[in-house]
Amino acid sequence: MTRGIWDRETVALLLLAAAMPLAVTWLLATGMQGALRLVFVLIAAGLWHLAFMLARAQPPSFAGALTAFAVAVLAPAELGLLPMLIGISFGVVAGELAFGGWGRNVVNPATVAIAFLGFGFPAAPWPVLPIQLGWAAIAMAAIGMLVGVMAWRIAVSATAVLVIAWYGGMLAMPFLTAAAVVLVLLVCDPVTSAATDLGRWLNGLLYAALVMVFASGWQGAAAVQVAISAALLTSLAAPLLDEIAMRRWLARRKHLG
Amino acid sequence: MASNVSLWGTLTTPLIRQNPVTLQILGICSALAVTTSLDTALTMSISLTVVVVLAAGIISAIRRHIPNTIRIIVQIIIVASLVIVIDQVLQAYFYGLSQRLSVFVSLIATNCIVLGRTESFARTNPPLPSMVDALGSGLGYGLVLMLVGACRELFGSGKLLGYQVLPLADQGGWFTPLSLMLLAPSAFFLLGALVWTMRSIWPEQADEPDFAPHEIEEER
Repeated sequence: MTRGIWDRETVALLLLAAAMPLAVTWLLATGMQGALRLVFVLIAAGLWHLAFMLARAQPPSFAGALTAFAVAVLAPAELGLLPMLIGISFGVVAGELAFGGWGRNVVNPATVAIAFLGFGFPAAPWPVLPIQLGWAAIAMAAIGMLVGVMAWRIAVSATAVLVIAWYGGMLAMPFLTAAAVVLVLLVCDPVTSAATDLGRWLNGLLYAALVMVFASGWQGAAAVQVAISAALLTSLAAPLLDEIAMRRWLARRKHLG
Repeated sequence: MASNVSLWGTLTTPLIRQNPVTLQILGICSALAVTTSLDTALTMSISLTVVVVLAAGIISAIRRHIPNTIRIIVQIIIVASLVIVIDQVLQAYFYGLSQRLSVFVSLIATNCIVLGRTESFARTNPPLPSMVDALGSGLGYGLVLMLVGACRELFGSGKLLGYQVLPLADQGGWFTPLSLMLLAPSAFFLLGALVWTMRSIWPEQADEPDFAPHEIEEER
């Protein structure tokens, strides 16, 4: 879709720009190790975009860099290079490029890659996100909503529920941090989240509800694991939420005549 | 019709060009369930091939005597009887393996490939071509099962047929098993990748697209 200066890459670049506070905070917190991990994931994802451009004439997207960043931040730690490569390849190819590139995918490639690594290597420890990433996530959400590439309804409804749950003592701080980072990096992705107004409210609520259910009922689950699982299920439910919103709208139109 | 060339063609066509699993997407349920290791996949392939060949032979031999209105019932009775025999043989001689295959040998009775071949081919053809056709379908099914089973066992536990091929990391080697391979979703992924590969190599296998994505005119 192209409208004025708005095409797919404008959205991808603005999302990347919005992610900068989060990226800087994360790099400051993890240092050289994190930088190397990010470079490796970036190269792996970039090569797949290149391969699909050459094989299928599919234009590569800067959204691949956002995917790579999300995987670098959230994927299980202490994995070898080969498992990491398998995970990122599976996520980028089967989650995004096989469908025709960014904008045509059904689930977020980063969510797929991280969930794949989590299920595939259950012994690998999940990363513990430093608490300042939660604050950086707020900055990312603010920039994203200001320039209009992130749906504020999703962010507001999810944040409201999560913060109330935290205030009421139902959600520990590590879970809130992980849920916030996953919310801005994966759940608010404009492609795989709901696209209708009502659907977006429901999308945020569903994500927050799933995080709370998993955090309270899933014994021994890490904070990031909880948030990723909730994000995966929410993105699968997003078309259903849109369908509900459209059905409701159609029913009301018929009622009015 | 009954020349050697056409028999050979009947046998080899279902291996790749008309593979029952990857082209016709039949028998997926068992293909996903029994492929966690190569030995169960092998046993399942042999059992299914035996059942489908014998069923095709029997049904083809009595094809002129089966009343058309109850043909499905007759076919299922014949197939189910054969499946029970196979199941009993497995339980008698390969008890451990039959326990791991659990209900899936019995479920050959409902396998689409078996009923598909008897209904579409054996019912209208003489016994020899019918059995050759059934053998081809069974081998085509077996081929896919072995491929998926070998991949899953190799990458899920580093073994092939129970022998350690890749040295495990926790035993001093280098290979970290991909536990996902032992779960059901991985069979979907592998089968999907296999279908994708085959349809890229032989584009004539690909389905017609349901609809073409329309290009949106650029607004200036």
